[in-house]
Amino acid sequence: MNDMKYYAGLDMGSVSIKAVLIADGRMIASSLIPSGGHYKTGAEKVMSDVLSQAGLTYEALSGMTVTGLGAESSPFSARQISDISCQARGCHTLFPPAKTIIDIGGQFTKAAKITPQGRIADFLMSEKCATGSGRFLQVIARILHVPLDEIGPLSMQSEHPVEFSTNCAVFAESETISRIAEGARPADILAGVHKAMAAKVGMLVKRLKMEPDVVLTGGGGEDEGLAQAIGEALKLKILVPEKPRLTAALGAALWAAEEYPLTSFMTHP
Amino acid sequence: MPFGGIDIGSTMTKVVITDEQEKILASHIGPTGAEHRHLALKVMDETLLRAGIAFESLDFIVATGYGRINVPFADKQITEITCHARGIRALFPSAKIIIDIGGQDSKGIKLDADGKVANFVMNDKCAAGTGRFLEVIAETLGINLVDMGDIALKANGFVQISNMCTVFAEHEVTSRLAEGAGVAEIVAGLHEAIASRVVNMTRHLGIEKDVVVTGGGAKNQGLVRAISGRVGFDVLTPPEPFITGALGAALVGKDFFDRGVRPTKERKKEDVTFFS
Repeated sequence: MNDMKYYAGLDMGSVSIKAVLIADGRMIASSLIPSGGHYKTGAEKVMSDVLSQAGLTYEALSGMTVTGLGAESSPFSARQISDISCQARGCHTLFPPAKTIIDIGGQFTKAAKITPQGRIADFLMSEKCATGSGRFLQVIARILHVPLDEIGPLSMQSEHPVEFSTNCAVFAESETISRIAEGARPADILAGVHKAMAAKVGMLVKRLKMEPDVVLTGGGGEDEGLAQAIGEALKLKILVPEKPRLTAALGAALWAAEEYPLTSFMTHP
Repeated sequence: MPFGGIDIGSTMTKVVITDEQEKILASHIGPTGAEHRHLALKVMDETLLRAGIAFESLDFIVATGYGRINVPFADKQITEITCHARGIRALFPSAKIIIDIGGQDSKGIKLDADGKVANFVMNDKCAAGTGRFLEVIAETLGINLVDMGDIALKANGFVQISNMCTVFAEHEVTSRLAEGAGVAEIVAGLHEAIASRVVNMTRHLGIEKDVVVTGGGAKNQGLVRAISGRVGFDVLTPPEPFITGALGAALVGKDFFDRGVRPTKERKKEDVTFFS
């Protein structure tokens, strides 16, 4: 037996469920699956995934934190921390100079300012309009028959991004159909969507009085075209973690290691 | 002395021909859409045919609506705000507020004591509160857009739809259905959402009697009822809500003519072009 301490972070998001295992402050295992509305079984699946990757059992964990929209449905009685606090903690560890975080998920977009200690100083969420959210891209990508993970690389080939007449996702959807009929290239349409999203996200972070460095997380961070468009809208370079969808789970694990060493979280059914 | 008004909207082109007594001699509606732009002239010809009037006899032709800019056979272009106000004033002299709900935008117009436009508000940036909102969700529900209003009227109360954004509301509707909410109650909730959006927008103008609802939205009795509920009294609707802008355009032309204004350019019987 070694005396290494292992901590887990579980992020139960609206679209996907993620788990991260850390030891000695480093990520040693991770798992990500679509939630598909099955929070409990999804949480059990990602947790057993990371434990088997590390060759561990639940009993070997010294602590665990749960976060995300679905945290209430967690089958583990571990401490819950808000996803934005976990996001801040994860980003601060990966990028110590980070002052602003933009998290673009499947449904919501969040912007947060963090202190030099990696705590939340201010926070805004865009939930009223689909333009600033990943849903906008999903809607347009569906019309173009472009898989979500190809949006970024394809959009980077654009030379003349389409200018939509409004930023409304619904109006842009019908405009996209007309533009396709007129011969517009999918790359230019996607780059146009990125510009519209970046404008909206830019307004959100400006309301927050953004300061660099700015980190982009969530599914939006996997889209290099979007990261570039946001960088252009904010006139600065956007930092993107290697695994942008795992930063909240990482932060949860880091919180567990720092503050919540846990003795009896094992109420697993 | 006949006058012509043509209103080229995002989804339909409407033409009205009136006489000098402001009486409608004929009206006709045709599709707009990307493939139908050239049809505007045909809608004009069809209306003339119905009125039994030659194109050359029209004393004034005014074009309005979002496609008004390049109408080669019109004498003047006038905004739809002015034209709607003029058309509604002819139909309802008591009107103080007009709520126009179109396929792609919605407007609130305040009229002064003389029936002139005193102020207006408009949303053409976002699908919420426009016909498009209902159209998108009707498709999700597999219901014909024209049946939505009647379904709402049969509802027992309504399911609150908290998302204004069409994309999010679409998702919310699917969740409510999965939870077992009734279709009619959801449809009624969607009408409440639109009514709330347009009435809140119009509130900035100061709402007072009479309120006239026009545009395609006025064809939807469920929506008209929801708007009446929000403003606190029964709103009025024109017998043919689609053509009030075109009627107003014809009457604005008549007003010009009465003041001695005469067409200056040569009319060209050519197709309407958009976005030149």
